[in-house]
Amino acid sequence: MARTFRYFEKKRRHRRTISRPLAIVGEALFFTVFLLGGVVGLIVLYLTLVVPQWESNREFVPHSCTVLDKRIGEKESDDGPLYRPEIQVEYSIDDEKFVVWAYDIWAFDTTGGYSAGKEEKQRILDRFQKSARYPCWYDPDDRSRVILQRGYRWPLGLLFILPVAFVLIGSARLIYLVFLVGRSAERRSALVQKAVQLAPFEPPNKALADYPAIPGGLNLTDSPGTTLAFRLPISSTPSWIMAVTWTVSLIWNGIVAWLSVVAIRGHLQGQHDWPLTVFASVFAVAGVVLIVYAVRQSMVTTGIGPTLVEISEQPLRPGAEYKLFVSQTGRLRLRRFEVSLVCEEEATYRHGTDTRKESCRVSDQTVFEQEDFEVVRGLPFEVNCSVLLPEHVMHSFKSAHNEVNWRFIVRGQVSGWPDFERSFPVLVYPGTNGNGAA
Amino acid sequence: MSGPRIILRLDENGRVYQPGDTLAGQYRMTSIERDDVKALEVSVLWFTEGKGDEDMGVHYFKRLSTEEGDWIDPRRPGTFAATLPNSPLSYDGRIVKVRWCVRVRVFLAGGREVVGQRLFRLGNVPKPKLTAATA
Repeated sequence: MARTFRYFEKKRRHRRTISRPLAIVGEALFFTVFLLGGVVGLIVLYLTLVVPQWESNREFVPHSCTVLDKRIGEKESDDGPLYRPEIQVEYSIDDEKFVVWAYDIWAFDTTGGYSAGKEEKQRILDRFQKSARYPCWYDPDDRSRVILQRGYRWPLGLLFILPVAFVLIGSARLIYLVFLVGRSAERRSALVQKAVQLAPFEPPNKALADYPAIPGGLNLTDSPGTTLAFRLPISSTPSWIMAVTWTVSLIWNGIVAWLSVVAIRGHLQGQHDWPLTVFASVFAVAGVVLIVYAVRQSMVTTGIGPTLVEISEQPLRPGAEYKLFVSQTGRLRLRRFEVSLVCEEEATYRHGTDTRKESCRVSDQTVFEQEDFEVVRGLPFEVNCSVLLPEHVMHSFKSAHNEVNWRFIVRGQVSGWPDFERSFPVLVYPGTNGNGAA
Repeated sequence: MSGPRIILRLDENGRVYQPGDTLAGQYRMTSIERDDVKALEVSVLWFTEGKGDEDMGVHYFKRLSTEEGDWIDPRRPGTFAATLPNSPLSYDGRIVKVRWCVRVRVFLAGGREVVGQRLFRLGNVPKPKLTAATA
């Protein structure tokens, strides 16, 4: 069926994806504006920063002048007074006499060369004596334009970072969009895959070549175990989670404290800002929840010792049986301790400007469980068990927005403590006959 | 009169393919004039469906273009053959689905495109039974 231009491409439940040509046109317009903004910014900076400095240093004619008077010029701005050094000089060119106020090239700039810092300007003036002669440089095109100080202000070059970034981002995206136009999704995908295979700085990944769309999992097999062949890495370390939780909690509650101070000060001064008070109160409630969560994380991290999980073989194959070793340290009274092998699907999608992630557990197999026992400090609780991976299951899968992940999950219910859960990812490859069984 | 179409046929029609098997078949164009055809692409690919944004991986890709001197005759059926990879296997999950297909895309004069697609299964992974939303 011949394809005609459509505003919307397809409807996915309650979401609609916009037509691809329309999206490309919109994106091209956006990044063209981005690029043009950068180019205009560069031109303006070039004309206002580079050209005057270049002309004053390379084209102004050397001469000499007599200082008649000097003063500090002052101008009011929103940020307070600004100053500039002003020196009145007298000089003659071809019998024509000029008396002007001058210092450097920035006096002719739109800012007039004003800046903060009166003392610095005074120090400049102190270098010049009245009635003394000094070298100066005048503009051959306008001989009344004269300067007493030359040089380049290199730090101003930092101003170029922003427009250069605009130009780079805009042009890179436009080049990419030009690459998209006229090429089918399949052709683009094939080209990208070829480029990845030819990437000069990436070592060839044989596992990925043999098993496309299955994560390489190098970090899953590079740590040997003490009891079994491989020690499984934990997906996110408890101490890292604790640090992040406390950081977020401190930042949030810092904002709450600031809002509270402003609100309370207003009430004390008789200026009752009720919207701010309500806003700060809602923030404070969330802040308390964050602190409780952070304390809970700290208790789990510091009070419950590390969990080690080792496995006899990696990657796993459907239908095969593996040995598993689990070790839990700490000083705990466990109401329940459970190890399970789970499979979760994860999908990432854009909804408007948001990127959302959703996961769904499709398999949860208990490998080991024990109730009401104690773990003594210095004597870790250790368990050896076996796990049979079911025959007909999906292998690990990873693409840009969709994943199927397998992991061992260790859950513990500790008397007087928050429950804990630790996750250890594993790789599952397809069975050798393609139907799951090894 | 029906519009331009592409009809795809797989050898051993309907069977489930296993990694390492050869997927072979034919494509045929109908209601397309020879002078209209500018280029033709044959792909064997997987793509995802479900909650997440669509991803795609091309396993086999062949492009014929009249501008590059290739001869494309819509009256004669074309053939393709590709050895299937170890992964990803076809999967009909709860929120993630992996589909395999052969896709033929014909580029016609005036910027029009005609696409024909034929799904097939790679591997025997059944639909998962247990469901528990976790996020």
